[in-house]
Amino acid sequence: MSFFQALGYFTREAFLSLVRSWKISLLAVLTIAVSLILGGVFLLVSGNLRHVVEGWKSESKVVIYLRAEASGSETVRMTRALEETDWALDVELVSAETAHRRFRRAFPSLSDLLEGWGENPLPTSIEVGLDWQQFEDRPALEAAFAELRADPAVSMIDDDRDWLNQLEAVVFVLEALGLVLGAILLVTAIFTISSVIRLTAFLYREEIAVMRLVGATEFFIRGPFYVEGLMQGLLGGAVAVTALFGAHLLVLERYAGAPLSLLASRFLAPIELLALIGLGGLAGLVGAVTSLRRESLGQTAETPGWAEG
Amino acid sequence: MIEFFRVTKRYAGGQIGLDGVDLRIDPGQMVFLTGPSGAGKTTFLKLIYCEEMPSSGNILVNGRNVSSLPRSKVPYLRRTIGVVFQSFRLIPRKTVFENVCYLPRILGLSSREQKKLAFETLRQVGLAHRLNAFPLQLSGGEQQRVAIARALINRPEILLADEPTGNLDPELSDEIMRLILDIHLRGTTVIFATHDRDLIQRVGRRVLTLDQGKLIDDYELPSGLAAETEATDGEQK
Ligand SMILES: Nc1ncnc2c1ncn2[C@@H]1O[C@H](COP(=O)(O)OP(=O)(O)O)[C@@H](O)[C@H]1O
Ligand SMILES: [Mg+2]
Repeated sequence: MSFFQALGYFTREAFLSLVRSWKISLLAVLTIAVSLILGGVFLLVSGNLRHVVEGWKSESKVVIYLRAEASGSETVRMTRALEETDWALDVELVSAETAHRRFRRAFPSLSDLLEGWGENPLPTSIEVGLDWQQFEDRPALEAAFAELRADPAVSMIDDDRDWLNQLEAVVFVLEALGLVLGAILLVTAIFTISSVIRLTAFLYREEIAVMRLVGATEFFIRGPFYVEGLMQGLLGGAVAVTALFGAHLLVLERYAGAPLSLLASRFLAPIELLALIGLGGLAGLVGAVTSLRRESLGQTAETPGWAEG
Repeated sequence: MIEFFRVTKRYAGGQIGLDGVDLRIDPGQMVFLTGPSGAGKTTFLKLIYCEEMPSSGNILVNGRNVSSLPRSKVPYLRRTIGVVFQSFRLIPRKTVFENVCYLPRILGLSSREQKKLAFETLRQVGLAHRLNAFPLQLSGGEQQRVAIARALINRPEILLADEPTGNLDPELSDEIMRLILDIHLRGTTVIFATHDRDLIQRVGRRVLTLDQGKLIDDYELPSGLAAETEATDGEQK
């Protein structure tokens, strides 16, 4: 029998066995699916969160507030100096008047508050858009910031980086957690598949014995079980991807615009979906291989003879 | 040809299955293997088709030393040996055709070739018309015929029968015996294990007697029952 003929035969046998013991097969498929869904949810949420954070990062600014006493020439000198650096993408000098105007436009109902103050309480500031690449280079940037803080013209520096970095750390922890949990569940799923395949082999022990007796090779005896494990894993992967997509649609529809929807608005990339399904298949195959690794298939007769060697 | 050279089989638990057996069976011979329960008959057969490996000694089957046969080669040896048991060992959820065609299917024969082969082989055992029946729809004697057809499907040189009539009443036993004689007459080497002394007396031929793993007797009885090809002709249902 050629390899492809054999593969066709294995697939047919595996399919028949899946149908015949569909209840335990379903159990195997579902355990694989649950582990992949959990891993997928983490992947989905962290991927969206990462996307959001990237967006914020690219817009993030450092605002340098100047003291009221700072002279115009000092302000201009500082702006120039900042423009020279390679981490400042764009540098905008916001005069006290501009700040005042912006405030009135942003909060019209509060503009009276400013009027009642008499003189303009808003300081002159320099807004610096950051080049994120350079921004990652912390020591150099820290040094530059320390220098700025020491400058007598500077009153304070408002820096988004700290909390963005914290958010990034959260994303990272989320991803790690998802990976670890997914991996643990996947190992559980492998054990389940392994037991299910062992059980199936037990159900088929008479037939296996007959096949051995008439001269079937191990390849022929094990092939259908390997294909069965693979099928269960792939099915589990497909179930997981479908469930994830359903969840994604549900979030889009029900919670559109809500902050939560940010976490599921972008679906997984095709390559990630394929990876999930492939991982399911691999888990199924590994489960089948481990379940048949030992002398679990029994021998031709009632007694195990070869095992004693 | 089958040759045993000082073959001993000791099981893991220390039980002696076979103890220093030396013998030779020529191609095409018909041999009875007898002795009380526990004498080592099953062990003897298992050693030939490599279900068990000897603890010491050598066994040649058709010129091949099977006592040192690598495990991966065992299936190829088994394709040249047919085996039948007292308990038939048919798969109830498969049809007669499927039960008989395990090996042809593994060998990659087309379903037409399989059908043809199954039909011819089942005709030889008188069951060509039950191709699509399930084993449990058949009588005990018919089930054993199906098992024999399964053993014969690849035209083996050797047929091993481990008490094949043990589950059958005397008339059915005789039918199965005639069938196996017929197979022998077509040139197959047959080793027939049984503790039914009457049956052996009626049939005749070479008789090996085992006791506690030792070969204690080896003699020839004159041929009796079922002269030659009458075997299958004489059988009615
Ligand atoms: N798998 C086994 N493990 C341990 N002892 C065995 C096994 N098979 C057979 N024996 C022992 O070997 C001896 C011969 O058994 P067996 O070949 O089955 O005899 P028979 O077929 O003549 O009844 C008996 O003592 C039996 O208990
Ligand atoms: Mg026995």
